[in-house]
Amino acid sequence: MAVQMNSSSDNAAVTMEQLCKWYGSFQVLHNVDLSVAVGERIVVCGPSGSGKSTLVRCINQLETHEKGRLIVNGVELYKGMRGLAELRRDVGMVFQQFNLFPHLTVLDNCTLALVRARKLPRDQAEEIAMENLKKVRIPEQAHKFPTQLSGGQQQRVAIARALCMKPKLMLFDEPTSALDPEMIKEVLDVMTELARDGMTMICVTHEMGFAREVADRIIFMDSGRIIEQAAPSKFFKNPEHPRAQQFLGQMLH
Amino acid sequence: MSFFAILRSIYEGFGITAAVATLGLFFAIPFAVIAGVLQHFATGPLRWIVTAIIEFWRSSSVIVLLYAFYYTLPAFGIFLSGITVGAMVLGFNIGGYGSQSVRAALQSLNKGQREAGLALGLSRFDVLRLIELPQAITAMFPTFINQAIQLIKGTTLVSLIALTDMTFRAKQISELGYNPVGIYSALALSYLILCYPVTIFGRKVERRFATRKAR
Repeated sequence: MAVQMNSSSDNAAVTMEQLCKWYGSFQVLHNVDLSVAVGERIVVCGPSGSGKSTLVRCINQLETHEKGRLIVNGVELYKGMRGLAELRRDVGMVFQQFNLFPHLTVLDNCTLALVRARKLPRDQAEEIAMENLKKVRIPEQAHKFPTQLSGGQQQRVAIARALCMKPKLMLFDEPTSALDPEMIKEVLDVMTELARDGMTMICVTHEMGFAREVADRIIFMDSGRIIEQAAPSKFFKNPEHPRAQQFLGQMLH
Repeated sequence: MSFFAILRSIYEGFGITAAVATLGLFFAIPFAVIAGVLQHFATGPLRWIVTAIIEFWRSSSVIVLLYAFYYTLPAFGIFLSGITVGAMVLGFNIGGYGSQSVRAALQSLNKGQREAGLALGLSRFDVLRLIELPQAITAMFPTFINQAIQLIKGTTLVSLIALTDMTFRAKQISELGYNPVGIYSALALSYLILCYPVTIFGRKVERRFATRKAR
């Protein structure tokens, strides 16, 4: 069974110590140290291939790390551990490609894990699902199938689906990168609202406006390393690392 | 003998043909799903074993297997009815093909589907059962109908182990008098009458899958 950790930082949602990961002989994460407090909103940015997605996907072990320690919601995670499914229920994830289940209605997408994993009765699960669909402003689509919705609507359903599990922590892996420009805002609005409600969030995104408005801290990654982290006010005004300066220069022009 | 009389006489074998085909599906479908899923997930020795079993049923001649099981099993003290042997051999043979459709359909699913299920905290088995298999089976349904039709047509072979199916009846009639055109066109028509409704059923179900997505 998973070992309860008595970490010194009791209010940490995520703690990484010297985290390393390889894809074959290629090292994607180099000794990453990161601590995310409960209620904190983190935006992870950096050039493609810098390891941002991998970092976030380690947190719910869709990718496993090979070295270092990773503690999520007070439990240390490691390859091959038992009880992972239970721990994942407390960590919501939103994917770039939405990954809604196309054979289920919007409502059933939201209730599936409540009924099958949390073992709630169906009517109670549906109540929770409708509540969260209202939160993402899409309750009228509950009985449609995902392919009948626009990309922005699908991503909002995906957010609602994750929220139904009442996660302690939400991970966003480039949630707006697959969207048409006019649909980005509706998704970011939902995410902003979520942040205001006090959700602990770790977002990989290139939406610098969102980062500036919502993030408590920006993490900048390059070649599998965190090379700069700062509050948005500082990060956007005068980034220290030349690579971050270059990156921002390209983003803002 | 009139064409209609021939048809009626052939129809006396319908029960056996239908029984072998239906029972055959009960062998074919579970075998296809279980073997396909196992081959998709298994690694190492288990995978070799599963592959060997699939290949045995898929790559052997059905006639040889029919004879082998019908005539040699009693030597080992195992007595199975002709219908059971016929259904099992045909079912596992078609199931062997079917397993490859199941495996291919599982492999072609976007891995994001699995990841989304796991991220929600579902067990690997629930992800397979509730997310992957329903989509895989929808995707392979046209192939499945094809294979069901192959199975029905394959039942002609059980006439070789002395089951009085439609083909066996036709051969009996053909010994009464020389009328190959009448008898075998009646037999061909009989199988068409049996198989075509399956095709129609397949199209109906496919259309239902389609409207679910594009309504």
